Amino acid sequence: MTQPLYITGIAQSPQSPSSRAWYRFKTDRWGMIGLFVVSIYFVLTLGVWFGLWGTNWSQTSHAFHQPASVTHWFGTNAIGQDIANRGIYATKVAFEVGLLVAICATLLGTLTGSLAGFKHNTWIDSVILWVMGVLDSIPFYLFVAAIAYAMSEWIFAMHLAMILVFWTETARIVRAEVMRLKHMEFVESAQALGQRQALILFKHIIPNTNHLLIIQATITFVAAIKTEVILSFLGLGVKEGISWGLMIAESTNDIQAGYFNNFLVASGLLFILVIAFNFFADALQDALDPKLQH
Amino acid sequence: MNIWPFVIKKLIGAIPLLLGVTLLAFLLMVYFGPDLTYELLGKNPSQQDIDNIRTILGYDQPFIWRYLNYLRELLTFDFGMSMMKDQPVIDMLTQAIPVSLLLMLPGFILGNVLAIILALKATQYRGLWPDKTIMTFAVIGMSVSFLVVIIAFQIIFSSSYGLDWFPVRGWNLTSQEGHFSLWQYLYHVSVPTLATLFVSLGYNTRFYRAVLVEEMNKDYITTARASGHSTTRITYQFMLKNAMIPIITRVMFSIPLIIISGSLLIESYFGIPGVGQITYDAIIAGDQAVLKAVIGLTSVLFVLVLLIAEIIYRVFDPRIDSRQAA
Repeated sequence: MTQPLYITGIAQSPQSPSSRAWYRFKTDRWGMIGLFVVSIYFVLTLGVWFGLWGTNWSQTSHAFHQPASVTHWFGTNAIGQDIANRGIYATKVAFEVGLLVAICATLLGTLTGSLAGFKHNTWIDSVILWVMGVLDSIPFYLFVAAIAYAMSEWIFAMHLAMILVFWTETARIVRAEVMRLKHMEFVESAQALGQRQALILFKHIIPNTNHLLIIQATITFVAAIKTEVILSFLGLGVKEGISWGLMIAESTNDIQAGYFNNFLVASGLLFILVIAFNFFADALQDALDPKLQH
Repeated sequence: MNIWPFVIKKLIGAIPLLLGVTLLAFLLMVYFGPDLTYELLGKNPSQQDIDNIRTILGYDQPFIWRYLNYLRELLTFDFGMSMMKDQPVIDMLTQAIPVSLLLMLPGFILGNVLAIILALKATQYRGLWPDKTIMTFAVIGMSVSFLVVIIAFQIIFSSSYGLDWFPVRGWNLTSQEGHFSLWQYLYHVSVPTLATLFVSLGYNTRFYRAVLVEEMNKDYITTARASGHSTTRITYQFMLKNAMIPIITRVMFSIPLIIISGSLLIESYFGIPGVGQITYDAIIAGDQAVLKAVIGLTSVLFVLVLLIAEIIYRVFDPRIDSRQAA
């Protein structure tokens, strides 16, 4: 058996930073549970993508408001649609929103934040700071509403609004870190060697902010999923297909009639994913925090 | 210490930000917003009618004039008539702001006070079971969607499927004799307050714990401990006092949201006629006059609060110069 020594738990922590982080992450029980649950949701999403399940989410039937049974795991809604199928399909929608927003917001935040930090005390930094200040001053839901209002029929209005709001936090964190890294010896030696500025920024500085980017991306992902639910409920969010927010919106009528399945499934799926992701993100933050290493 | 040069410098520094937020609100709500010409016209308009409406809406004027006109509206609080209700926008807002304030204040105050108390306990027992319990509940609280909490609390407290103690919808503060009644107020405000509390407590506790833990690791606490001060005295007199700046920041930054935007979700779901309800109706109906007023005013207020916060820090803590406070 050529198992790496650290898996047996008797050796000192391994050498590469990522495996060291993984080693630390594995010791966090709640983080591992979170990762496991998130993986299950991800498999659910993949299944919907490949058409394995969740395909009949929009099919109506004459079986209105059925209780949970073998054919309908969580019963049916007011127009006879299978709630389990809708919940599973909505998982895919939530993941799409979360991933798209998290990736775009992190990329945008990294580029602008690192540029601002690298060009600190120049007009570039001032302009970027000004843009961030402006965006941060507008109340979030009103900003999303304004964008949805300005681009009324566009299906990505919600995504765009979330990206425009969420990138600033990442940018501020990256900017502060880049301002710190800029004065470290490895950057100064690259400068002394006469390397191009862009190369220094992208090859030497940005890779050193990776741990912050991963943490920020997970936080943005959770925020995007939670926000999507509220925006869809308010009629500003998902316009095609079904999402947990839309399910909760349609469940408000069911509740008055005494049918809770729709509400319980949508909010339950949302809660389990978000809490698992929060535990995962917390553990990741502890594992990746360079201050705790060595 | 002379504070005025600092205040003036800050005021001048806030101008680009104010121009920025108003410009963005203008671009989104007015310039790129939907064309309202045909919503205000009757059937079969003549070209003359169309031109008249476009003149009234200012569509024939250059960009800069329309932006300056929006700035004038913000400065004079004159936003014209609501497009949906036959009422000036500013009258709608002056009626709604006190409602939102009364609705949000109890939850806001309790949410912050309880969170600070919990954070102090968690910090005091750091790493032990009280800390872990509090922080686990904080994560659970953070993970429940506000929307779900509102609906669930309404089922539990206000519907016949639950306790049925409080009203499902509405807002009425007067007793039968027509006076303000505390009992009526509590009757209507309790469930929204509980919902706000449930959601904000997790975030607030986590934030305040992080602040307090950082404060606890500082040298002066070690010194105070070594000098034999009691834990209570260290916690409340030294640590809490020094942690006040981030706490005040957080509280102050929530103020614009409470005054102007209220809560879209709570007010629309409980049918409470505050600013949130007005905004929600305006979003649904596309009432541009209301939306541009609410967004413009909240953003400007936010920038002003930012400014006041920096000036207050400077007055109370002279060590903070403008560079640190930024």
